[in-house]
Amino acid sequence: MRTMTMKKVISNVRLYLVPIAAVALLLAATAHAAAPGVRGTSFGLTASAAFISQPDGQLVYSWGYACASGGSAVPFGPATGSACGGAMQIPGPTLIVTQGQSVSVTLTNNLPAAAGNTSILFTGFDVTTSGGVAGLLTQEAAHAGTVTYTFTATNAGTHAYYSGTQGDLQVEMGLYGAVIVLPSAIPANCTSGVAASNLTAERFWGETDFRLAAAAYNHPKACYDREYLFQFSEMDPRIHRQAEEQVAARSTCVAGAVGCNLEVATEPYVPAYYLINGRSMPDDMDPNYAAEYPHQPYNGNPHMHPGEQVLLRIIGQGRWQHPFHEHGNHVRILGRDGNLIVSQSDPANSLAGPLLFTTTTTPGVAMDGIFYWTGRGLNWDPYGHNPASADPLAKLSCTPDANGYNTGAPTAINYFEWCQDHNKPVQSAPFGDVAGGGPVTLPDPNIFTNGAWYGGSPYLGPNATVRATGPTGTTPPSGTIANSPTSEAGFAFMWHSHNEREITTNNIFPGGMMMMMLVDSREFQIDETN
Amino acid sequence: MRKLFPLWLPILLVCLATAVASAQSFRVQCPTSTATHPTAANSEPDYTAPTYTSGQTYVSSGAGHVNGAIKCQQISGGDGYSTMGDGTQTYMFSFGPLSGLGDMANGRPGTEFPSVFNGVYGGTFAPGDPATSDGAGPGPNPASGFRYNGAVGLIPDATGNTAAPSAGHVDPRPIEDVGVMNGNIPAPLMAIDEDDEFFLTLTNVGMIMRPDLFEQHTVHFHGYPNASSFYDGVPDASVAINIGGSFTYYYLAPDAGTYFWHCHITPPEHLQMGMVGQIYVRPRQDRVPAGTSLYTALSTQQGDLRTACPLGNDAVHHDILCSNPLPAINTGATNTAAVYSAAASGTNAQRPGYAYNDGDGSTYYDVEYPIQIHGFDPNFHFVGMTFNPEGFVDMKDKYFLLNGRSYPDTVTPGPLATQSADGVLHYSQPLPTIITITAGQRALLRISDLDVTEFQTLASLGIPMQVVALNAKLLRDQAGNNLYYTTNSITLGGGESLDVILDTCAVRASITSCTTPMAAGTYYLYTPNLDHLSNDAENFGGLMTEVRVN
Repeated sequence: MRTMTMKKVISNVRLYLVPIAAVALLLAATAHAAAPGVRGTSFGLTASAAFISQPDGQLVYSWGYACASGGSAVPFGPATGSACGGAMQIPGPTLIVTQGQSVSVTLTNNLPAAAGNTSILFTGFDVTTSGGVAGLLTQEAAHAGTVTYTFTATNAGTHAYYSGTQGDLQVEMGLYGAVIVLPSAIPANCTSGVAASNLTAERFWGETDFRLAAAAYNHPKACYDREYLFQFSEMDPRIHRQAEEQVAARSTCVAGAVGCNLEVATEPYVPAYYLINGRSMPDDMDPNYAAEYPHQPYNGNPHMHPGEQVLLRIIGQGRWQHPFHEHGNHVRILGRDGNLIVSQSDPANSLAGPLLFTTTTTPGVAMDGIFYWTGRGLNWDPYGHNPASADPLAKLSCTPDANGYNTGAPTAINYFEWCQDHNKPVQSAPFGDVAGGGPVTLPDPNIFTNGAWYGGSPYLGPNATVRATGPTGTTPPSGTIANSPTSEAGFAFMWHSHNEREITTNNIFPGGMMMMMLVDSREFQIDETN
Repeated sequence: MRKLFPLWLPILLVCLATAVASAQSFRVQCPTSTATHPTAANSEPDYTAPTYTSGQTYVSSGAGHVNGAIKCQQISGGDGYSTMGDGTQTYMFSFGPLSGLGDMANGRPGTEFPSVFNGVYGGTFAPGDPATSDGAGPGPNPASGFRYNGAVGLIPDATGNTAAPSAGHVDPRPIEDVGVMNGNIPAPLMAIDEDDEFFLTLTNVGMIMRPDLFEQHTVHFHGYPNASSFYDGVPDASVAINIGGSFTYYYLAPDAGTYFWHCHITPPEHLQMGMVGQIYVRPRQDRVPAGTSLYTALSTQQGDLRTACPLGNDAVHHDILCSNPLPAINTGATNTAAVYSAAASGTNAQRPGYAYNDGDGSTYYDVEYPIQIHGFDPNFHFVGMTFNPEGFVDMKDKYFLLNGRSYPDTVTPGPLATQSADGVLHYSQPLPTIITITAGQRALLRISDLDVTEFQTLASLGIPMQVVALNAKLLRDQAGNNLYYTTNSITLGGGESLDVILDTCAVRASITSCTTPMAAGTYYLYTPNLDHLSNDAENFGGLMTEVRVN
C-alpha cells in the first residue's frame, strides 16, 4: 500500500470511530458540553502525576491538579467523578466563584519528590499567601507540603490559573486551569424579554438551563443563553518522556537532597499534540467526565439553537498562540482577563471589544466573547418551509420582531427564524417536499462525498431534511452518521486552530485543536447532562 | 442542452471513468435573473433605498427595492507549479481560473456580471491559456492581452442560443485543456459588492501529478457571518466535490469587508500546498449617488433589518455582532463622483472607494491592494509531489509569500509564468504586490494571512499603518466612536485579516484631498521576523515589498 494512502486510512479509521461513538451516544443519552467545574469559596487542590490519553493511542505522562476538597459540582455532572475528591485532571478543576467573595485555595504538592516545589499563580487577583516556602514568584508548596492562596474575586469573567514554579516545565506538564467569576448582580434585561423567551423555549423542549449565570458581567450587553469553556495548550511528547524517565530514575530520592531534581530540556520545543481542554479531536467531542478519559474530564462539543447568545470562555494555556477560528459567525469580545471592554463615551451601555472570526489565544490570557448564529442574510429559508406542503410543520408562520426574528413563538421549531427569508427557496427545481423557484440548481448527489456531520440536505433540522430527502425526494443521503437526517440534522461548523498544522495529532490528520459546533433546530433537544 | 447530452457524455465517461451514469460532471451556473434580482442587469444600481421598504418579509412576486446585482465566477481545483523567489519550481495543490481569465492575468478580480460570464469564447482554448495565447515566457511577463472573461467550457446550446447557456452542462474538453496543471498562488481573486448574489462554481479537474489521490476540493468562505453549513465548504459538515464534478456555491454577499477563502479538505495539507485565495466585499456606501451624505446613506440602511445595526439594551433591539452603528460624529462627508461612477460600472479595475459602511468617510481610499500572507515549506511540497506521507509536526516554512511571491518577485509587474509538468507555461502567480500611491493619496491594504504554521508580522517603514478593521469588521464601538489605531506593524496568524490604510498625506484638507503630500519615494513593507526575509537558502528576500509613492 502506498504510504500516502496509509495516511488516509489512518484518518479514515479515526473518522469512522468518531461517528460510531457519536451514534452510540445519540442512542443512549445525548451528551454535550457546557462549563462544568466546582463551586465554592475554599478549595483544596492537589498536584500529582498521571497518564493522559491521546487519540493516537498514546498515554502521556503528565502532571495536573485534583480537587481534593471544598467545592461542590455545578451545575450538573454524574454522581461520581465531577465533585471534589476526583482524580488529577487536565485542565485543573474549573473554580467557580462569585464576584466579591473571598476565595482561598490550598495547594498540596503530591508531585514526585524529584519534581521539586510547585505553586499557583492566579492572574488578575491580589493574592495573599500563607504557609509554604518562598519561591521566585509566590509562596510554593514543597514536596508533600501545602501552601494557601487567598484573594478576593474582584473582577467577573474568566481567568487563567497556572503553575508559578518552573513554568516552562510545569505548565507544559499540565498544571493549569480556570477560575470563573460570576457577576454579583445580573442586569434586568438578561432575565426578561427575549432572554426569558429563550428559557421558555428551552423548557418547552425539555432542556435544562445549564448556565452558571444569566450574564458574564454585570452589564446589559453581557447576557447569554449558553456557555462553553475552551483551554488551549500544546504538548511536546519528548519533554513528557524525559520527565517520566527522570522521575522513575529518581523515584526514591529525598526531596531537597542533592540530585533530587529534574533536568528536562524544554527547548527546542516541538509539540506534536494540540489540545483543547486537555483532549485532541475527536476525543474532545466525547462527553464531559467520559470514563475513557479519567484525567481529562472536560470536553469541547458546543451545540446551540438559532438566536441563542453563546458565551465562549477561551483561555490560552501552554506557550504558543493559536488562531482559533469559529466557523459560522463572528465573536464579540466582551472582556479580557476579567476586564470588560466598554465604550469610553457610554460605558454603561456600549461595548468596545472587537468582533473576531478568529479569536487568537495567547498564553495566560483569558477572553470572554459572545457568538450566535441565526442564518440572517442567507437569502434562502434554511427551514425549507413550503406553503404548498401537506405537512403543517412546513407551513409555520414567521412574524418578525423589531429585530426581524420570529421570537413571538417560543414553542415553534422555527423560533428565532430570520423572517425576511421565510419561504424563500434556494433551489430552482422543487426538491422533495421543498418548493422550487430559487436561484441555484443543486447538483447530482452522486458527484459528492458526504461528510459525517452533513445533516443530509442544505436545510436545518430533521423536519426540513426529511421533507427534502424523504420518499418524495432524491436519494437519501448516506454517511451522515454523526448528524443524522432524522434525529439532529443540525448545521455543523468546524471550530479549530487556523494554524492548520495544529489540527493534527502527532502527524495524524484529523486531530488536535478541532471540534464540530452544531446549530440545532428547536425540535432537537440539546441535553448537556453528563 | 438535452440534445447535446448524448454527445459529450461518452467523452466525459472516458475522461473521468466514473461509473454512475448520472454521476457527472462539469457545469456552471450564472442565472441572468433571480427572485432577488428579477431584471437582468450588468451594472450596480444606485443605493437609494433599503431593499425592504415596507414590512420585512419575502414576497415571491419580487416586491421590494432592488440593490446589488448577480456576479459569477468559475474556478478549477487541481494542481500546478509555481516559481519561488530563488527560482525553485514548486509543486502545488491549487485553484486556477476558469473564468475572468483576462482580468486575473492582469492582477484583477475575476468576478463578472452574467453578461460577461455567460459570453461564449469565439476562439479555441490552448492548454495553458491565457499564457499560451499571450506567447508568455517563463518568469515575468508584460500585461496580458487576453480579453476573454467568460466561463471556460461554455458552448452554444442545441438551438444555437448563446445568450443563456448557464443552466446546463459545459464542454469538459476546454475545461481540462485550460484547467489542468493551471494552479495559481494565490487562488483566483474575487470581489463582490454588498447585496450581490454570488455564484461561484468550483470544478474539480483532478490532480494529474498525484494519480494515487482521489482528492475532493471545496471552498470555505472564511469569516462569512451567519454562513450556511451546506455552502461553508467543510467536507465533514457538508458535501465535498469529487473529481469530475462541479459545485456552485451561492451566497448573498455578506457585510462589507476583507475576507478570504480556501479549500477545507485536509487543511494542513491543502492549505500548505497552496489552496488559498482572497475575496473582499465592497460596501453599499460606494453606490450612493455622488453628493449624497454618507451619514444619511448609513441611516437609510437602518430601514432594512438585514443591513441595520440595532443596539438597544434589550435583546430584541440589539445585535451584538454589529460593528458599524451610525458614527458618533456626523462629519458631513458625501460620496464622490469618482467612487460612485466606478461602483456603478462594477469595474474590476483599480478604483477608489470605502472599505466599510462607515457613514463618515473615514475608510476612504484612492487605491486598494489585496495582500495575502502565506508560507511554503519546500520539504512538504516535495513530499507532496511524491507518493509519500507528509509529516505535520516538523512542517517549517522556508518561503514567505505576499500574494504567492517572495521579494524581489513581489515587485515584478505582470503575471509570472511557470512551466508545469505538462510542458506548457501557465500564469502561476498573477499578482504582484507593488503598492503604488500618488503622493497625498490613501491606499487600502486588504491583508489576510493563511499561513498554516506560524504568526507573521508585516511592518511599514516610513508610512504609518492605520488599522481600520479587524476580521472584516470596522473598528468602532457600540456608541459610534471609531477605534482605529495607528501602528507601524501588524501581526497575523493563519485565518486572520485586517484592513490598513496607508496615508501619504502629511497635512490633509479632507479625507479626499491633501494639502501637503509626503515626500515621493520608495518605502517598504517588510517583516521584522528577520528569518522570514529569506527565500530558503538565499538570505535576502522573503516577506517584503515596495510602496512606491509617486
